[in-house]
Amino acid sequence: MIEFNHVSKVYPNGTTALNEVDLQIEDGEFVVVVGLSGAGKSTFLRSINRLHEVTEGEILINGESITKARGSSLYRMRREIGMIFQNFNLVRRSSVMRNVLSGRVGYHSTLRMILGLFPREDKDIAMQALERVNLQEKAYSRADELSGGQQQRVSIARALAQEAKLILADEPVASLDPMTTKQVMDDLARINKELNMTMVVNLHFIDVARQYATRIIGLREGEVVFDGPVGQATDEIFSDIYGRPVHKDEMLGEM
Amino acid sequence: MKPQEIWKRNTKRILIAVVVLLIYIWAFSGIPVIQIKETSGEVFSSIMSGIFSPDWGYVYDPAGEDLLRTLLETLAIALLGTFISSLLCIPFSFMAARNIAKTKFMVGTSKSVLSFIRVFPDIVLALLFIKAVGPGPFAGVLALGIGAVGMLGKLIAESVESIDLSAREALIATGGNPVKTFMFAVVPQVLPNFFSFVLYRFEVNLRAATILGVIGAGGIGAPLIFALSVRDWERVGIILLGIIVMVTILDAISSRIRSRLI
Repeated sequence: MIEFNHVSKVYPNGTTALNEVDLQIEDGEFVVVVGLSGAGKSTFLRSINRLHEVTEGEILINGESITKARGSSLYRMRREIGMIFQNFNLVRRSSVMRNVLSGRVGYHSTLRMILGLFPREDKDIAMQALERVNLQEKAYSRADELSGGQQQRVSIARALAQEAKLILADEPVASLDPMTTKQVMDDLARINKELNMTMVVNLHFIDVARQYATRIIGLREGEVVFDGPVGQATDEIFSDIYGRPVHKDEMLGEM
Repeated sequence: MKPQEIWKRNTKRILIAVVVLLIYIWAFSGIPVIQIKETSGEVFSSIMSGIFSPDWGYVYDPAGEDLLRTLLETLAIALLGTFISSLLCIPFSFMAARNIAKTKFMVGTSKSVLSFIRVFPDIVLALLFIKAVGPGPFAGVLALGIGAVGMLGKLIAESVESIDLSAREALIATGGNPVKTFMFAVVPQVLPNFFSFVLYRFEVNLRAATILGVIGAGGIGAPLIFALSVRDWERVGIILLGIIVMVTILDAISSRIRSRLI
């Protein structure tokens, strides 16, 4: 469970990215965060694993404060949280296997990782993760030989290999075409159901959000302006989140 | 463009041309009349005949100093020198990379150290080390080991600056500490370039090691300069042949490995 307790984030230049966010996300939920660019979606997500620091309030993960965590306890908490990025953030020169294995670094000593020695079980875990996204035959290809959609699925496998309980996805389909968007979102939905992994996903496309989410959180200028089950998120609600009528390009269509 | 501007531009060009011409005239007028020694033709034909009738007996001599032994020493100087510089350059290349180093001060300091080292030609460094540790191959190793740090550090720092750091964010998110993050997100991107530069520097060092002996820093240069001073052209011939064969073979191997790395 993730708890936001009165969380605010003000950037040094005075911009408010998060304003008094106070909510809980239960285990197994598929939460989609929507809002205009600059509404604080990315900051919201990155404050959960503390890639960004918050300026006020506290975030608890399963009752433990990540805001206050230091050193190795912060690394251990991050290990429980997988993350998927818009630009995949793979090491493009390395093999797919090595990228997936990099999800395991949190489990081993620094010395062992300097030598790059992963135990046999880790390779099995990585292979299973690749099977789950249907890429086992690409395990020994170089990451940059894969298509965009495949690279994004490698980064999902990396999060799976991490054996995280929660996956954060920051615009995971923003650089993909409609066809691969569907594959990647289907993978995330399947993992959410089969492994009961909590998903917190930032999305740009309203129809994709409606199709996959169980709950929608709408952000406007850092404030939560809507938080409810997907059924209640009507077009009027979206217009309210966006502060204007919904545009055509906020629909992916063809799905 | 207005006619006035065109006129201005043309005057500027003519002025530059005149200045360059004057510099050339001044420079050439300072050169003494080129003189070719009367004996030069004779020396040249002696060297050529030496190369075509080399002193094969010098190739291997179980009793004393022979070609193979000195060639091996030359190779060892180049190898060890390259190895030392490849280790020494690592901290400098990361400290001099703007995207990795923490402060501008660190980048500035490291870059200045690297350029300072690059100022010295290998031969000058070897002369300094001969004074420090005495003549012999060890002085040559140190000269190449220190001298190459300047170039390797600069080239590797530049390749570090060009890597994609987005994977670093991903590694931090998986719970990696800074060392693990570095090993997984940065090192794999730099490693191929690192090996390629080190191999290239090895090729350069091998050539440099062949002349280090001339000033007494070990290797094939010493017997070469002795043979030249006693006009033993057959000996000169075999030494030159030995250098050519060794450098050509090792260059070919090294470039083949490099082309596979990138």
